[in-house]
Amino acid sequence: MNIDKILVSIFQRAFKSMTDEMSISLTKTTRSPILCEAKDFVTGLYDAKGQMLEQTENLPILSFSLGPVCKEILRQYGNEIHEGDVIIHNDVFSMGNQNNDVAIFKPIFFENNLVGWSAAKGHQADIGGAVQGGYNPNATEVWQEAIRIPAVKLYEKGKFRKDVWNLIFANIRLQMVQEDIKAQIGACTLGERRLQTFVGKYGLEIFEAHKQALFDSTEKMMRAEIKAIPDGVYTGGSMVYYDGKHKGSKFPIKTKITVENENIIFDFSKSSPQTKGFVNGTYTSTCSAITLTFLQMVNPNIPHNEGMIKPLKYIVPEGTILHASYPAATTFGNHLCPQVADAIFKALGPAIPEKVTAGWNHLLCSLFTGSHPRTGKKYVDICFLGMKGGSGALKGDDGYDHIGMIDASGGVLDQDYEMYEQQTPHMILQHEYLCDSGGAGQWRGGLGTETKILLKSDNTTMVVFGDGDVEPNYGLFGGKGSVLNKIELKYRNGKKVIPKSKDIIHGIPDLTLYSQIAGGGGGYGNPKKRAKEKVLQDVKNGVVSKKAAEKLYGVK
Amino acid sequence: MKFKVGIDIGGTFTDIIAISETGDTTVHKILSTPEDPSIGFINGLREVAEMRSTGFETFLSSVDTIVHGTTVATNALLTLKGAKTALITTKGFRDALEMRRGIREEQFNNHYRNVVPLVPRYLRFTVDERISAEGKVVKKFNTNELVPIIKKLKKEKVESVCICFMNSFKNAAHEKQAVTFLRKNLPGIFVTASFEVLPSIRFYERVSTTAVNAFIGPIVANYFDNLIKKLEIIRFKGTLLVMQSNGGVVTPEVVKKIPAVTVLSGPAAAPTAGAFYSSLLGYKNCITVDMGGTSFDAALVIDHQCVTSTDGSINRYRIALPSLDIITIGAGGGSIGWIDNGGLLRMGPQSAGAMPGPVCYERGGKMPTCTDADLILGYLNPHFFAGGKLKLNKTKAEKIIQTELADKLGLSTLETAAGMFRIINNNMAQGVREISVERGYDPREFLFIVAGGAGSIHSSEICKELEISVFVVPNVSSIFCAAGMLLGDLKHDFIRSYFSSFSKIDKKYFITIFNEMKKEGMETLLHEGVKEKDMELFPVLDMRYAGQYHEVPLQVEWSDVVNFNLSNVFEAFHKEHNRQFGYSLKEEETEMELINVRLRVIGKTEKPKFLSSKGKAISLEKAVKEKRKVYIPELNELKLIPVFDGDLPIGGSVIHGPAVIEKITTSVFISNKYDCLVDDFGSFIVYEKEKYPGGFQPKQKLVDVNEN
Repeated sequence: MNIDKILVSIFQRAFKSMTDEMSISLTKTTRSPILCEAKDFVTGLYDAKGQMLEQTENLPILSFSLGPVCKEILRQYGNEIHEGDVIIHNDVFSMGNQNNDVAIFKPIFFENNLVGWSAAKGHQADIGGAVQGGYNPNATEVWQEAIRIPAVKLYEKGKFRKDVWNLIFANIRLQMVQEDIKAQIGACTLGERRLQTFVGKYGLEIFEAHKQALFDSTEKMMRAEIKAIPDGVYTGGSMVYYDGKHKGSKFPIKTKITVENENIIFDFSKSSPQTKGFVNGTYTSTCSAITLTFLQMVNPNIPHNEGMIKPLKYIVPEGTILHASYPAATTFGNHLCPQVADAIFKALGPAIPEKVTAGWNHLLCSLFTGSHPRTGKKYVDICFLGMKGGSGALKGDDGYDHIGMIDASGGVLDQDYEMYEQQTPHMILQHEYLCDSGGAGQWRGGLGTETKILLKSDNTTMVVFGDGDVEPNYGLFGGKGSVLNKIELKYRNGKKVIPKSKDIIHGIPDLTLYSQIAGGGGGYGNPKKRAKEKVLQDVKNGVVSKKAAEKLYGVK
Repeated sequence: MKFKVGIDIGGTFTDIIAISETGDTTVHKILSTPEDPSIGFINGLREVAEMRSTGFETFLSSVDTIVHGTTVATNALLTLKGAKTALITTKGFRDALEMRRGIREEQFNNHYRNVVPLVPRYLRFTVDERISAEGKVVKKFNTNELVPIIKKLKKEKVESVCICFMNSFKNAAHEKQAVTFLRKNLPGIFVTASFEVLPSIRFYERVSTTAVNAFIGPIVANYFDNLIKKLEIIRFKGTLLVMQSNGGVVTPEVVKKIPAVTVLSGPAAAPTAGAFYSSLLGYKNCITVDMGGTSFDAALVIDHQCVTSTDGSINRYRIALPSLDIITIGAGGGSIGWIDNGGLLRMGPQSAGAMPGPVCYERGGKMPTCTDADLILGYLNPHFFAGGKLKLNKTKAEKIIQTELADKLGLSTLETAAGMFRIINNNMAQGVREISVERGYDPREFLFIVAGGAGSIHSSEICKELEISVFVVPNVSSIFCAAGMLLGDLKHDFIRSYFSSFSKIDKKYFITIFNEMKKEGMETLLHEGVKEKDMELFPVLDMRYAGQYHEVPLQVEWSDVVNFNLSNVFEAFHKEHNRQFGYSLKEEETEMELINVRLRVIGKTEKPKFLSSKGKAISLEKAVKEKRKVYIPELNELKLIPVFDGDLPIGGSVIHGPAVIEKITTSVFISNKYDCLVDDFGSFIVYEKEKYPGGFQPKQKLVDVNEN
């Protein structure tokens, strides 16, 4: 068949419009704040073989977690896929990425042929298990974290399977989750309808041929990016601290990246064995972390379809901390992304020094629950505003200030201060850039922040999860590291409490002062080479002290 | 004879329209004078007087109103050439303005920078004061704290100061103290406080909007002082009104206080004009689109009203004042065609703009653009662009498309130009689809109204992709915004935050704050010369279900507000929530929360009449200018088709597609699939042949294409 090159361009934009529309629909129809506000979900379209046509990702860590499940469903169901089926899935031991991230898949038929799949995956407010919300630092097995949902049909040939539905939702705490899953089904129906219309407009043969041409063109773009990396074997590593159980425990992450002409292999085989706690990754989540890190180093205009991921090869053996064996606890797995990213940036630094960034600030996050004395109601608040530090600097540009972890790459908004003070009993005393928190360098690391909140109700509970409180973010090529993450409570009676990086603290009394430091990003290049005007500007703006200017940058 | 004049000053052109009470219309377009836009303003008026063969003074004495759209504020924000601005805020919150809640819009691009803050950190000062979430004073403010700050402001030669304190929407006492003290001690410096600009909850939105106001304040104030002076010199005795971002007009006195209301002054007139045209044709909903040199603006009109939102921003600077909800896509006549690393043809978002512009302009443009393709495809007449003022070089356009694109793609020049046309049309169509869907509407149920020069060449194909069956090119489409300015009412928006669950609303307080806003609004209108009978009140409640993060603005009846008739409000809210989000929580009896109360106060202005050509029409044959080879998308080839002179009175005629209609200021392409009815006002109503086999009549029900 002759390929109409113009039509290939139009296909790309049209697919993007479809997944965007699915994403818009999901933002509007879901109810849990983590979906409609933090947009912790992804929508995508796949072809009959489960190859990605396009997707709309909101939080990068979820971005590449649908395709593997789609292929798993095809393998599992084979000829038992029918028009009108709706399949649900979260199981981390059959290609799920995180227990809370529940996917809906809908096969798309055109004239009785399977032509594709629409899919939506979102982080659910609850997924059963021992602790509401899913983050259970005490978990050692998956059942203490969540209900496992292998790929099962919620609808078969258009018929709703009430029994299956009831079984699943009998194991999930919040009614809202049912509504959010219905919203995901709605978004998939939208994608189904639009892809059907689209295939109908051009005919199946043209659709198939031009879709393939689009993959080929994108693959060519991606391979050109890989080809630009000098051939070689590159190694890098990072460290995960504390599994939530054993004080002082640490777990190395190691990568070996092989670049050969247009091919790249990311091998994480030498990483630590899995932990006994919940600090474990899943295969899909780790691959997603690898992909999103690599995408930060290539042309940002490459379309996100199968052609883009095809040249990337992943080796993440089962039994390692990045791919835990059944039935390990894994809820923390998405948050191993910063360490995966560090290892990759460090490995590729010598090969593509102009593309890598210095270390990004790692996540250290707190979550408050309690009751609001003014309204008498319960509230839950993830302290987004306090946890977001700076990104690492790169050649030519300073890091981004107060952007937060690389898993989100600036996709999660801070709470508004005034709305926060209405919805929680607490009072924010400070939320500002922290002076000297950006790692020094010819290009400075992004700034971290300093947050102080006066907790104004009795009996507050605080859950802490994260890292970055042991080893500072690294600088590159002579650039310096940044400051450590830190959370501290100071009770009214003078008692100080410094929580561990995975912890739960109950019964925090009224008028306790909560302080948090989110570190900055690492610097890039020798600070002495930084343009003098930039250093003086930073001093004038109070983000670099006079002392540091003199000592680190040699500028008086 | 009395005239109303609309003057829209854009980056490239200044558009002027003068309409008499009988509908006698003069339209003029001149080059803008960006170094001092008021020069173009006065020159334009003078030239219109010449066109009407009247003395300048005589003409001016017959003008009772001039409505002005300006990009002075917009440009200051786009080029960052505003005033040297300082911020004074609460201790602990020095950086909210720059942090922008910690977002990076391009997640995979590590070279993507944060915006340059409108106030640099060294000019952001904090004072030790605090109001609690309930509005109580936690830490008393002492104005003495401002003394050393004022010293620094003077030393730094700051030109403008903004004040934004935590929770001032609950209690503005400290801000009031600060603003009074600063105005007294900084004579001649623009000082603005957040309670004056946007007294509503959400600190980031408020500090950003207030900073924008301060940043553009002195420039906008100087501009109007200068313009008013010039108008006095030429003895203009009528009223000068200014177009606001909310689609209404306002006096310069109000603008000088809150210049941020003019940030979208120019484009805001297009939807206003669109609302008017669709009503004229008997439709209550429409999408207006305006395709310029670099961008494509689209906006929705629902139930005769332009959709407003408070989610606006310019150049990534957040402005939370109510503005018309106009969405901009990077597609225009200057959009550049390029080939990506995968070998695919792409259009935009990079643009050659007006300078150097498309290659065929011969102004130094070196990249193939949409306009170059439009020329090759025969849609543009090389000898009649802008009425012949600008000759287009077709050979150069062909050459650049061949060498830059066609050779690399292995296609002919014509195929490539047709590909550029298809791709950019697809980009625009998908953009329009997304904005409609995002706001909960199906574009197929809308009339499509096309303003601006390039849009009417592309609208056949955009509408085909969107399955929209009728589009309209108004007679004054090329100066659509200037015309829209004469159709706007005086509009003032007021807001108060009142965060409460509905069951706990204090009736007396609720009614009091509405009456306060009403009083303020009516006083402003009276001052602007509006009679009470011409005033209208539109109360809005920003509401949500308890626990939600986003509020939904709900327009309610004034009578329900003052009678505290909340059950009507509840019903309406469930309904609106269901429309926008596909569900309501009525059955669950979920509690509802109030966030803000708003009041829009409108003073109706007298609208101009447009002149009908009824009875003066000539026959269509006489309007044929030539036959020209034009690319027909349905046939995928060039075909010899008639070109009509759209400036002749051909009202009542039906033009069968494929055809081109040429006016001095615009061209309309009607593809195979469409026919076109020219109405008595000279507007072109283009409709799908198949859907309207018996022809199309205004007020006819749009063909119901909603299959779902």
